[in-house]
Amino acid sequence: MKVLRPGRRARRRTVALAAIACSTALVLAACSSGGSSTQNTGGGGGTGNAKNSSITIFNGSTGTITENFNPFMSGTALQPTLGVIYEPLYYYNLAEKSDPQPLLATGYKWNDKGTELTITTREGVKWSDGQPFTAKDVAFTFNLINKTPALNTTGLAATAKAVDDTHAVLTFKENSFTQEPSVLGNQAIVPEHIWKDIKDPTKDPNVKPVGTGPYQLKSFSAQSYSLEKNPSYWESGKPQIQEIRYIALDSADAASAALTAGQVDWMSSYLPGLDQLLKGHKELSYVNTPALTTSIFTCSSTELGCKGPQTDPAVRQAMYYAMDRTQLNKLAGGGFAGEASPTLLLPDRDKDWIADSANVTAPQTADTAKANALLDAAGWTKGSDGIREKDGQKLSMTIQTVTGWSDYISINDTLKQQFKAVGIDLKPTQLAWNEWNANETQGKYQLSLDSIGLGASSNPYFTYQGKYNSANTAKVGDSAAAGNFARYKNATVDAALEAAGATNDEATQKAEYAKVQTEIIKDMPYVPIYINSTLTEFNNSRATGWPTDDDKYAFAATWKAWDNGIVLKNLTPAK
Amino acid sequence: MKTLARRIGFYVIAFWAAVSLNFLIPRLMPGNPVDIMLSKLAQHGPVTPATRHSIELLLGADSSQSLWSQYVSYLGQLVHGDLGVSVSLYPTPVSTVIAQTLPWTIGLIGISTVISFVLGVGLGTFAGWKRGSWLDSLIPVTTMFQSIPYFWLALILLYLFGSVWMISPLNGGYDVYTTSPGWNAPFVGSVISHGILPAATIVVSSIGGWMLGMRNMMVSTLAEDYIVTAEAKGLRPGRIMRTYAARNAVLPSVAGFAISLGFVVAGSIVTEAVFSYPGIGSALLNAVNANDYALMQGIFLVITLSVLGANLLVDLLYAVIDPRTRQRG
Amino acid sequence: MSVTLSESLEPDAVESREHLPGPTSKRRRARPRLTAKLVVGSAVVAAIVLFAIVGPFVTQNPSAISDVGLQPPGDGHLLGTTQTGQDVFAQLAHATRGSLTIGVVVGVLTVVLSSLFGVIGAYAGGVTDEVFNLFTNIALVIPGLPLVIIISSYVPNKSIWLIAVVLAITGWAGSARVIRGFTLSLRGRDYVLASKVAGERTWRVILVEILPNLIPLLASQFVFAIIFAILGEAGLSFLGLGASNSFTWGTMLYYAQNGLALRLGAWWWFVPPGLLLALFGAALSLINFSIDEAINPKLRSQTRSQRKGWRLTDKQLEAVKEDAL
Repeated sequence: MKVLRPGRRARRRTVALAAIACSTALVLAACSSGGSSTQNTGGGGGTGNAKNSSITIFNGSTGTITENFNPFMSGTALQPTLGVIYEPLYYYNLAEKSDPQPLLATGYKWNDKGTELTITTREGVKWSDGQPFTAKDVAFTFNLINKTPALNTTGLAATAKAVDDTHAVLTFKENSFTQEPSVLGNQAIVPEHIWKDIKDPTKDPNVKPVGTGPYQLKSFSAQSYSLEKNPSYWESGKPQIQEIRYIALDSADAASAALTAGQVDWMSSYLPGLDQLLKGHKELSYVNTPALTTSIFTCSSTELGCKGPQTDPAVRQAMYYAMDRTQLNKLAGGGFAGEASPTLLLPDRDKDWIADSANVTAPQTADTAKANALLDAAGWTKGSDGIREKDGQKLSMTIQTVTGWSDYISINDTLKQQFKAVGIDLKPTQLAWNEWNANETQGKYQLSLDSIGLGASSNPYFTYQGKYNSANTAKVGDSAAAGNFARYKNATVDAALEAAGATNDEATQKAEYAKVQTEIIKDMPYVPIYINSTLTEFNNSRATGWPTDDDKYAFAATWKAWDNGIVLKNLTPAK
Repeated sequence: MKTLARRIGFYVIAFWAAVSLNFLIPRLMPGNPVDIMLSKLAQHGPVTPATRHSIELLLGADSSQSLWSQYVSYLGQLVHGDLGVSVSLYPTPVSTVIAQTLPWTIGLIGISTVISFVLGVGLGTFAGWKRGSWLDSLIPVTTMFQSIPYFWLALILLYLFGSVWMISPLNGGYDVYTTSPGWNAPFVGSVISHGILPAATIVVSSIGGWMLGMRNMMVSTLAEDYIVTAEAKGLRPGRIMRTYAARNAVLPSVAGFAISLGFVVAGSIVTEAVFSYPGIGSALLNAVNANDYALMQGIFLVITLSVLGANLLVDLLYAVIDPRTRQRG
Repeated sequence: MSVTLSESLEPDAVESREHLPGPTSKRRRARPRLTAKLVVGSAVVAAIVLFAIVGPFVTQNPSAISDVGLQPPGDGHLLGTTQTGQDVFAQLAHATRGSLTIGVVVGVLTVVLSSLFGVIGAYAGGVTDEVFNLFTNIALVIPGLPLVIIISSYVPNKSIWLIAVVLAITGWAGSARVIRGFTLSLRGRDYVLASKVAGERTWRVILVEILPNLIPLLASQFVFAIIFAILGEAGLSFLGLGASNSFTWGTMLYYAQNGLALRLGAWWWFVPPGLLLALFGAALSLINFSIDEAINPKLRSQTRSQRKGWRLTDKQLEAVKEDAL
């Protein structure tokens, strides 16, 4: 710890003016221990001048960092592995409605039956070790997955063949249009000349990654690792930032301290009072990209073993109308949440997929009259204590959330007050994450507060298939890890999803999704509340060109695989 | 030597108890690693039933074995130093995670405990010697520091020194921006500057105990006959204090050293969380949050073994400095 | 942590016992004198206990949300509001009650467990003592907090009672060792031997002859256990592993920390629980000083000449010292 002497303070100002932002506390250690700042590799967050520009990213990693750049382990590989070091064939932007953008491929074509996919690969791409990238690498990657069940996280069943250097053909056993986003947009392509020698791709941490992405590994330690520009990147003029550093921080407190001290350039943390925190820091900005729909998950099917009032669709409907979403957003969402849709799609991005324009957004204020009417019609009558009951059963349900998820706990507290007005008694409980999670996957809950994740592409199929298809559920007590936690079972929905999956004609799909939407709005197994905010904070003093509300060229969050690479290669050093 | 054998026998039994406890507790936990890994995956992208199968294959999860045969194979693995593979950091072996983090914790705890012990015992000696002096009246104040939660103090110190006055680093174990690990001056310097605040937190919170214990022992010892004799002989007060009183009074503090180490370990877990210090405590918390059975087991075992080891060490040392323990056997 | 205090004190406490006169005179002398430490400590503890008992009845609903968050103190909210507009003062009242409940429960359990293992083992001697002592020592060397973290991450939906039990299970051993040491020395006292020879039943000897002499020691262990428990709970809660659906100082600090209270300048949310905790702990320590001085008269402030007047005892000192090792 060095004491700030007046002389040092003066020099610090000049250094800052020279735009070599040795920032805050670290300037003391960095600039003073180095003697002079000639060889500055970036005190604080990094540097902004073009020649040795560097930025620092906090992507939510905590504690110690372990080396793992194996792109087949999407769950545990270090996050820049996917998108920054390795690239997929196409990039799917989930932040807005857009077509897939070609990366390692320049075109693809299905046969009519949906069993054969021909991919045209990009020419002139080199692996970071200098070897050329060809269609053989693509074929190798998919064949490796096919013959290694442990790597096959998407259930891909395709054999691949490179026809020539720029064309690979994937052959599926059955109609596989729905595999398109996972093949094109969610699979990193690995170099054959390296991976053919890797003995066990399921266990290899791949400490010397060779990819096609805009950056390559420079150095690694358990506290931080850095990537440097891939000089032979195929897109000319990109990337412009020379070096990227990733750090680990243990708490929101540490993250906010590092952000305001200028030690982090890009991070996605929900920081309470964000506007107040950023006050006086002109270089800092943030963008809010709501994407995950916070919903009440209900254990809905008596047939599969669910018990409680929430198995009555009228109760689920009543909850939908009884909540005052404006107040919920204000108290629990920090005012950052977006309006949810009863179709569980994202109103902005997916407007075209929503068949009935009345279903684009959920009502933002409580309609207690309607909720009461629904419950009255279903035979729930108010008891002396103001709580409804039917056949001796009280309209009282437990709702579970995770200890410490303060915004969700606030939602529960608020909902309890709001639901009381229509005679529904809500009992919030807080559980440890693993218990909460186990309850959901095994159906051992009545109501649970959770959110709907992002699909493989913006096609509603990926939301609906997982959450509503009865193929993805299980009896209460069995694990429904594939996603249908609500134990929802509806033959119409199943049939419509099957029909939508069998085609790649969007008009047909839309007609099928319309059927799904009618059913799920009637049954409401997931009661949407709002679209939770995703706040991403930037420091503009070293790099500019971050995604903004007006230009959502990629999903801005640091934790989003693939999008990272797109953001990073579009950044430019700050002037 | 019988005493020594007894002590070692005790540590063997304690070791076995720790190992068995370590085996049993995580098995009683709800949830299973496969579901947890699946839920982790679901946060990044879609999961299908095939994903489940692939993860079961990946983790080699087999819950069909009986508890007893799991216990036997667990012991077998331990003998080979195999602590398993971390689920949340797959495919990193638990031993790697521990190897990465343990040195930081040992460094932090070791240094701050030694500082705290030396300072506390030293000040306690003087407080007991000069009873009623200003130093002695400071004792209640230092015990008040003990009642302050580690993390609360740490957060306030971090906020003031790190964010308001900006004279201390905000997080981590060293300056990751400008130094790289190794035996070079900038790195060592930055490790020290990053360690000062966490160490200070531990010292401030734990020094009161040493001070009070030593002071009270000094007071008791000073009433012994041999002190009176020494005084009567006209020995210099400094000599009486150091050679006659303090030397005997420090014995219980030494005996308490290793045990209190266990509590400092506990404190350091919390402290590491506040300072984002890359130690084993922070790794333990991450393991708990991720329900990473193997990692939790491994870390708990290593912490327990370290504390047992420190105890044994002090026991042996004690036999050296206190001749009575040797004679008794 | 306070536990360190109790550990380093313990061998001392064991030895100090030796200088106590017989039981009858002791009962008179062991009563803590009204020193400044005792008065201040008791006053603070009494005030906080009163707050815990009365506070929750007179304050607002601590969970009630209002639309104005992070209000500074004043204007209907004595200590301001939290992020979601909850009244901090009301939360503090409930939290004080929660933390004290944990403290007292753990205190009682610790005393019960440690007397069980300490007194019975030491009195019975032989194999029983060996086994009890071994068990105590094992429980002592296995680090508590990591164990608590693992156990409490196992248990879902934790109540404060459960947290209290877990803390007691991992925290009783230190006290048991102290109590055992003292019981060992009592066991050999003339009056205990006399009542044994007189054919008194074992439980009667323990209850009538031994336990009364242990009362000051038990009191001091009780106080330590309370501090230990409250601090332990606060640490657990801060790590997000504390009791769910309840208010304690620890959970308050946890939410304040999650809400970045300190960084947003909301000191009224972050400082009071910690300060109250520190105050309470310090007050209990002051009381313990007084107890210590009562049971170990040497620790009282005396003049040097008074000190020289002390007469030393006896062979047993050696025996106890060795046992303490």
